[in-house]
Amino acid sequence: MKVKVVIFFICTTLVAANELDYNAAINTNYGNNYDFYNFSENIFDLNFFYNDLHGWIQYEYSNPPDIGFPTNDIRKFRMEYASGDFNLKLGDIYEIWGRGMMLNQFDDQITNFDNGTRGMLVEYMNGPLMLTHINGNSNMYSNQYSDRVPDFNNIHNMNANRLQYDWNSLLLGLTQLRSNEDHQLTLGPNVSVNHNLKGFYTSWSGANADFFSEYVDKVSTVYTGTGTPNDTLKKGFGVYHNINLYLGNWGLSSEYKRYAFDAAHGDITVNEYGNQIEYQQMPTLGKEQNATLLGRVTHNYNFNDERGVQFELNGSLLGLAVTAQYSHLSRDEEWRSVTNFDWEEKPISNYLPSSNESALPYWENYQEISGYILDDKLYFKLGRGNNKEITKAPKYFEGQQMDKFIDSFWSYDTTDTVLFGTEYQIIDSMEVFDTSYSDPYDVMSKWWQETKSFTIPVELNYIFENGYTIGVGFQYQEKSIMDRKMGNSEGYSAADSSWEMYNPDDYTEYFNTTTTKLFSREGDPVDTQFNRLLYISISKAPRWSFTITQDWTSAFDAGAPVDPYYNPLEALVYGDLKYFTGERDKIAPPSWTENRWVSAEFAYNITSSQRVSIFYGSIQGGLFCSNGVCRLIPPFNDGLKITYSASF
Amino acid sequence: MNISKKIITLPIISFSFLLLAKDVDKGNTIPNLKIRMLDGSSATIHELVEDGPLMIDFWATWCVPCKKVMKFLDQYHQEFEDEGFKVLMINTDTPRSIGKVKSYVRSQDYKFIVGMDPNKMISKKLNGMVMPTLILVDKGGEIKWRHQGYIPGEEVEIKNQIEMLINIIKGNTVEG
Repeated sequence: MKVKVVIFFICTTLVAANELDYNAAINTNYGNNYDFYNFSENIFDLNFFYNDLHGWIQYEYSNPPDIGFPTNDIRKFRMEYASGDFNLKLGDIYEIWGRGMMLNQFDDQITNFDNGTRGMLVEYMNGPLMLTHINGNSNMYSNQYSDRVPDFNNIHNMNANRLQYDWNSLLLGLTQLRSNEDHQLTLGPNVSVNHNLKGFYTSWSGANADFFSEYVDKVSTVYTGTGTPNDTLKKGFGVYHNINLYLGNWGLSSEYKRYAFDAAHGDITVNEYGNQIEYQQMPTLGKEQNATLLGRVTHNYNFNDERGVQFELNGSLLGLAVTAQYSHLSRDEEWRSVTNFDWEEKPISNYLPSSNESALPYWENYQEISGYILDDKLYFKLGRGNNKEITKAPKYFEGQQMDKFIDSFWSYDTTDTVLFGTEYQIIDSMEVFDTSYSDPYDVMSKWWQETKSFTIPVELNYIFENGYTIGVGFQYQEKSIMDRKMGNSEGYSAADSSWEMYNPDDYTEYFNTTTTKLFSREGDPVDTQFNRLLYISISKAPRWSFTITQDWTSAFDAGAPVDPYYNPLEALVYGDLKYFTGERDKIAPPSWTENRWVSAEFAYNITSSQRVSIFYGSIQGGLFCSNGVCRLIPPFNDGLKITYSASF
Repeated sequence: MNISKKIITLPIISFSFLLLAKDVDKGNTIPNLKIRMLDGSSATIHELVEDGPLMIDFWATWCVPCKKVMKFLDQYHQEFEDEGFKVLMINTDTPRSIGKVKSYVRSQDYKFIVGMDPNKMISKKLNGMVMPTLILVDKGGEIKWRHQGYIPGEEVEIKNQIEMLINIIKGNTVEG
């Protein structure tokens, strides 16, 4: 701590003395709501430059932050020296090699994901050749059970090397990374794991085409202190290809991935030591959405066990931007229920993703047209997206079985005895069993959970001559979550060691049921959830903008959230005069506010590089994803958020 | 709050005021960072400002306000090309979507220069983490104007700033 304070004082004094060139940024976020959800985050970044030297310090005072631990300290720092053929970095290192299959380090404060390394980077360049070495420690936190305070911690001591050859349009890279990890398991004590990764990547860029390819091989072993037993060995690999083709104003991007680091049945990634390590943040092959409702139905990508393809076409039509995207993902293997709890892995015979429900497939497609019309006065965006996903497959059997018949009869021995003569017969009896089997017959017992959604985002902005702009945005979504069960068997009987038939008298009778997992606020099952998001904005460039947003839903897959307080903004939006005349109970919101979240935000540019925004109202919680990392955001009810950002 | 926290918080606040009080007209010289371009070539910022002013903007394929302002920046890049003015669009897409950048830029037939910054090293060094962030640099490499975000209609202010800088440079050239 003392060392950091000294560093900070030296840097600020030097900068203040105008000896160096520098820039700085301040980001302040404050929030407080009716549910006692409060945060205060203050982050200050300072960069300074002196000839070949660059320094960076990030200071944070957060108590508490929106997500993470309370901090009052220098959070990050780095010194860089670049001269001629050498590049040296000391402090917090963030690097991306290739497309990140081995190393992709970033600090995402929105999801509280930080996989940077505190240590050293040395780089030597000689013409097209570049050698890089990284060495240091990473302390990585994640949220497994808690929304806000991290409860999982993995510590890595790593070193990594790269040899890259950059020759005109061709690039080749050889990479290697070793890490000794103190790994926190979901259950049980921490384990010491050694990870060894080797990989390569290559890219080529031409006038009308380019490609990129990367492969990584990973071996992980648990260190027990008594050697390296083979039964702890975990092997995996990942491969990624990207080919882009261009013709005139059109470009087609195609991507393929196959990540096979640790296969396991189930809808959740098991927190095992054989998993992909945090440094590996790979391409996801899903559309990075910027519409709120589409962001809520994002697939939870599995970096350990997933393959897939993605195609995206970008073009220009009548001066407007056109995008069409399709992706299909699945696990690397299909699964078959052996019993109600045991599973049998069945590798997929080809390289493409599977559509079999047991492989938890995911499909998405999205089309969008956007651009300026009416002499650049009207900006519009019209999209259409739908996706389908199998999120769980608790049972999946399709095969044959035979019924076993056991006939028994008694065998009697009526041999006369010498002692008693024929008068008394000794009858000896014995039960005899005769086992026979029926002809094999088809058995199917399948159960999976399926989600589907269909979304239309629309946005319009009209710019007036006097600098005012009116904006309207509307997003509409239909979503379903269903339990699907089908087959002629309802389950496996452990007692009989066989699949129990749905109709014991007629094995050809099949059932096919669909049960919704969505419920209305009153608890009634509903097939479809309707979501709508409407926002209206007015702005005056370059000074201010004001936006009112209403988010509305019709059903829930978990308990319906309770709005604890009727706020004046809601009353204003719904035109409820009784609220303002004191005739309304503020802690008992009226029924028309249920299932709705209303908020207003005012943003003001104090100067061109200083901006303050004030938010008031409620936000619906839900899944938020960024950079392939997702977290559940708790709802924010009847609260205030103030954000200030400045850069100098 | 304990004493050590007070000690560290105080210089932060003081320094923040110091920055706010700084003479903004003086400006800072932009660091001579090396940037890898979309076409695979490399250039430093100082090389790019040799011929005239440079507007730097940070963007990503998923950033809607960035796309809204891009059309105007491309117009200005072409309109003031004869004055040596350039627009450098630094892309911050991660490996998740970096494969689509070239496809998007080509589809819109944009003429500006596109730099790549997937690990946000350049955006961190230039404080361009908020997108879009515009930085206008003069021929000598001095930062003349910074702007965060984009409100529709702000393209007028952006053009004014570019024209003002070009006129100043022209004036200096005539006087010289």
